[in-house]
Amino acid sequence: MDATIIFMAITYASELTLLSIGFTLTYLTAKIPNFAHGTYAGFGIYVSYTFAKFFGINPYLGFPIAFLIGGLLSIIIYKLVISTLTKMGSGSIVLTIATLAIQIFLGALLNIYAYMFIAFYKQYATAFLLKDYDFKIGEVSGIFFVSIGISITTVIILHYLLTRTKMGIAMRATAEDPELASVLGININNVQLFSWFLTGGLASLAGAMIPFWLLSSPMTGSGIITSIMAGSLLGGFESVYGAIIGGFTIGLSEVLLTLAGQLLLGNWFGEYRPLIPMAFLIAVLLIEPRGIQGFYERVMRRRTKSAPKQSENKEEEK
Amino acid sequence: MYVNVALGILSSLPMAIEGTNRLIVDIAMFFGLLVIVAMALNFQYGNAGIPNMGCAVQVIIGAFSVSAVVLRIMFTVIASSGVPLQDWNDPYNWVYSSPFNVGLSNEFIKTNAPIAIGFFLLSIGIALTLGAAIGYLLALPAIRLRATYLMIVLITMADASQIIGRNVTFISGGTLGVWIPNVFAWYPGDFGVIMAVITLLIGLICFFIFRTMLNSPYGRLMRSMRENEVTLGSIGKNVVGIRRNILMFASGITAIAGVINVYYLQFSNESGYQRAYWTYWPWLMLILGGPGNNAGTFLGAALIIALRRLIIVFKFELQPFFFFPIPYLEDIILGGLLVIVMIFRPSGLIPEKLLYIPGVNYAKMVQEDVKVDWRAAPKARAKKGSKEEKK
Repeated sequence: MDATIIFMAITYASELTLLSIGFTLTYLTAKIPNFAHGTYAGFGIYVSYTFAKFFGINPYLGFPIAFLIGGLLSIIIYKLVISTLTKMGSGSIVLTIATLAIQIFLGALLNIYAYMFIAFYKQYATAFLLKDYDFKIGEVSGIFFVSIGISITTVIILHYLLTRTKMGIAMRATAEDPELASVLGININNVQLFSWFLTGGLASLAGAMIPFWLLSSPMTGSGIITSIMAGSLLGGFESVYGAIIGGFTIGLSEVLLTLAGQLLLGNWFGEYRPLIPMAFLIAVLLIEPRGIQGFYERVMRRRTKSAPKQSENKEEEK
Repeated sequence: MYVNVALGILSSLPMAIEGTNRLIVDIAMFFGLLVIVAMALNFQYGNAGIPNMGCAVQVIIGAFSVSAVVLRIMFTVIASSGVPLQDWNDPYNWVYSSPFNVGLSNEFIKTNAPIAIGFFLLSIGIALTLGAAIGYLLALPAIRLRATYLMIVLITMADASQIIGRNVTFISGGTLGVWIPNVFAWYPGDFGVIMAVITLLIGLICFFIFRTMLNSPYGRLMRSMRENEVTLGSIGKNVVGIRRNILMFASGITAIAGVINVYYLQFSNESGYQRAYWTYWPWLMLILGGPGNNAGTFLGAALIIALRRLIIVFKFELQPFFFFPIPYLEDIILGGLLVIVMIFRPSGLIPEKLLYIPGVNYAKMVQEDVKVDWRAAPKARAKKGSKEEKK
């Protein structure tokens, strides 16, 4: 029983990793926390639903479609709202509120989509689980291998993209300083479009994996946003590699700490599960606001500084 | 129609408040309620530039302070005056004897108006204090950092307070909720009318407090902080302290809205304080009306509340045309509205005007434009700009 929960924790953690990477990428390129990011995952959830229950195909085949739909949705949002508002010179606060509005809008769209199945096809779509459509290797359900495989592949591809390809280097340059990047001949618009496509696609892909192990509803995606933000913040908010560690840590600890709390303190602790990422969030802000990235940089700086400092002291002693 | 409403308020006849009149009273009530939140938000974001995404937390604190603190005081006072109330001390009785106790309390309040008014004022005082305290606590982790962090902390705290309220029965009865005595049971007329009048009165008082503060030197300090924090810090002002003070003050005012909401519903439960409702709507009102001026906030609140109440009232007439529940239509309309307003009218329906301070002659202070009347400055500036273009 415990082993199942650990597999589930790793599944959740790898999905949260994908979501945190996307959240961080959005923050890097557009400098706003995208509150609608969790709702992209909701679209992935309903792609899986449509494939499994409506078309009757294996929902694993819907993953590329989920990636594409999430990416296109993200591009549409960027083109219609974020890009327009940025061109008008709106500040980051206004943009963030716009993402809040988008979250409510998209959440309502998802609900309407779910009710469409109820109204026209007599299928109950507002709460569902796709465990029956999953395959099994031994005792372990297939989603464990698939989710961890997809997240590791994504991390490797992303690392390759960001360090070896022209597009990735352009993305990093744009994140550092958009004006300087445009002076160097980088088409910022294309870079932004690409990164928004990537974030939306990754979020939707992560969402498509959720209904295999969690009872999903239209609001599941937007409910997960706190964990995503905590993961991104733990990773330092401005570092993709930090987000990988942060997202995985938050996902793992959310499930395992709840389990530990339930075993030690009693079953009532399960109700407080959403508070765990919030506690992480506050702890990170109080202790090290720049998260793992800031901690890493501080340690590295100390290590590089320690050598010349000693020599200076020696000179003073002389 | 209006005569009826006026008559209803004056002679307090329940007969007068029916049909369309009931709708008007309802809209007035919710306008008063949300305009308090929106004005406090305008005070924070429109004038001081603090993006408070946690209005829901402050409202929920006001609501919880009534059910967790004032209700116990109320029961203690009423029980000590000889009313045979049932036990309310352990969590089980706290929920299950609540309807019975509240019924007896209402009977008691009918004959003891001054005590009831005292309870109402006490709950407002407690809400102010607790709201300010929660403002301080919320500011603690993120106020020194970037605005983004503050937004994230506040938006998560809204969810956290709901989860705590749901699971700690002691606060507001957990998932079942607790009943709240009607503090206006002594009023012979319609409950909705007196509640709307009281709410609008409190809203008016809040408006005058905010207006006075904005026209004071502190208001100018706030505006300068909104425009440029670094400059303000460099001339020796404590930016973090100012920001914290403003957040605390506005949190206290916002908590009053929670108190009024609880007394209006006569019921306290966490489920009514969703982030989407109590955070998003005030923001929508603020952006629609135009951040930075109170007139805009009033207009925005009136439009949104009227739209929303009309959708709710005509829900059953609208429902046959849609295959999905009407609240989602509401979400789509209002979610889209914010984005549309942001794109097509970025400064809102009523843009912010230049600050006019009586007794200060800017004309003398600014040597370059000596003859400018600063009350009409935007117009003058626009004219000058057009002339230059023509040349």
